[in-house]
Amino acid sequence: MDPQIVVGPNPRMRAIFEYVALIGPGLGSVLVTGESGTGKEVVANALHQHSARRHKPFVAVSCALFADTLIESELFGHERGAYTGAVAARPGRFERADGGTLFLDDIDDVPLSMQVKLLRALQNRTIERLGGTRSIPIDVRVVAGTKRDLQQMVKEGKFREDLYYRLNVLSLTLPPLRERREDLATLAEHFLRRFFARRQQPMPPISEGVMMALQAYDWPGNVRELENTCERIAESCSCGQVRVGCLGASVLFPSTDDAFADAPPTAAVGADAADGEIARRTTSDQRVAHGPTARSYPDLPLDERLLRIEAEIIGAVLAETGGNKSRAALRLGVKRSTLGDRIERCGAYVQ
Amino acid sequence: MPGIRLGKGFAYRAGMTTSEMVETVLERIRPALNADGGDIELVNLEGDTVRVRLTGACAGCPSAEMTLRVGVEGALRRARPGLRVVPVL
Repeated sequence: MDPQIVVGPNPRMRAIFEYVALIGPGLGSVLVTGESGTGKEVVANALHQHSARRHKPFVAVSCALFADTLIESELFGHERGAYTGAVAARPGRFERADGGTLFLDDIDDVPLSMQVKLLRALQNRTIERLGGTRSIPIDVRVVAGTKRDLQQMVKEGKFREDLYYRLNVLSLTLPPLRERREDLATLAEHFLRRFFARRQQPMPPISEGVMMALQAYDWPGNVRELENTCERIAESCSCGQVRVGCLGASVLFPSTDDAFADAPPTAAVGADAADGEIARRTTSDQRVAHGPTARSYPDLPLDERLLRIEAEIIGAVLAETGGNKSRAALRLGVKRSTLGDRIERCGAYVQ
Repeated sequence: MPGIRLGKGFAYRAGMTTSEMVETVLERIRPALNADGGDIELVNLEGDTVRVRLTGACAGCPSAEMTLRVGVEGALRRARPGLRVVPVL
C-alpha cells in the first residue's frame, strides 16, 4: 500500500511537491522537518519514487524506537557473536536499503555517540557491522526526518554540527495541517474514498456541517489525525451521507485546555474566559505555588513528604471553594472521584 | 467556507448553573448540526443525568448518538465530573 501524493490547492504544498520532483533523482541527503503526522515519510517515499532508485528498496526506520545501544546494530547490522544473543549475523537497515533510499525518522533521537558513526557512514559511504572487521560499501540515498528544530539542537550542543550539515544538503519543511486548511476537502475526500472502497462502498456525499467542523478544528495530529477521522467515519457511517454526527467527539469538542494551551497566559484571563473557571484556575495555581515547595519537610521520608504537600495543596483549594469538592476537583484538574480518594489517602482538610 | 464557523472552544463562566453549561456546550456544535438539517436540545436535567435529544438528519443514527453523547458528556465533565448524558428519542 503505497502512500499516494494528494495535491490540494495550497500553494506552499504545491511548491513542495514540485521541489520533490526536482530533487528526487539526485543523491544529496534531504532533511525533512515537520510536526508529527504532517507526512514526512510520505515525502521521503515520494523522493524515492521520483528517483532512478524506485525499483530498489525504500527502507524507513524510526530512530526513536531503539535504545541507545540497539540503534547501532539496527542501522549497521551485526556479525554472529557480536554480543550475547547475536546468534546469527544480521544485515542492518543501511545494507537492506542498498541501491535504494533509507529514511531515518526522528533523527534527533540518535544519541551523540552514535551521531559520529552515522557521520562516518555518510561521508565514507561504507559501514561496518557491529563486531565485524570488513568495510561494506553502501549505495544509499539518505532522507532524515525530524519534528524538532535541529539547528537549535546544534546550538544547544545536543546535535553534532557536522552531521547536521551532512544531512541538511537539501531541506524541506512541511506545514502543519492547520496552516493549509484549503487542502482539507481534497484530503478528506481522498481518505474517505479509500476507506469506503475498503468496505466495497462508494463514497457518500460529505455534508456542509462536516466541512465546517473540519475547518474549525485545529488538527494537532495533522494529516494522520484527519486520516484516522476519515477511517472512523467510513467504519461507522450507515446513513448514506457523511454528516456531523459521524465525526468523532474529539473533533467536535476539542478540549478547552487545548484551545488555550498555546495562547499566552494573558489571553486565557482575557476575552471570553474573563471571569471563567480557567482564569480562576490559573490564579489558584499561582497561589498554591507560594505554599508548600520541594523544600518543605526536608526531614521526612519521600512518601510522607509528598502526602503532606498534597494535603496542603488540596486543603488550600478546598478552602477557596468553601469545601465544594466538585469545584476543587475542577481546579486541580482531577476527577471528582479521584479527589475523594486522594483526600482520604492524604488526610486533607479545609484549612 | 462561507457562513457560520464553529466556536474556537467554549468557556464556562463562574457561577453558571448546570443547564447553562449544557447550553454553552450545545451552542458550540449547533451551527454544524443546523447546517446538516439537524439539532440537539436539552430535554431535562435530573440529578446528575442530562437528557438530550437529537432531531433531524442525525436522529436515530447510533454513530451520531455515540459521538454526541461522548462529546457533550466529556465537555460537561470538565466542569461537573459526575454528570451523565443520556440521549432520548
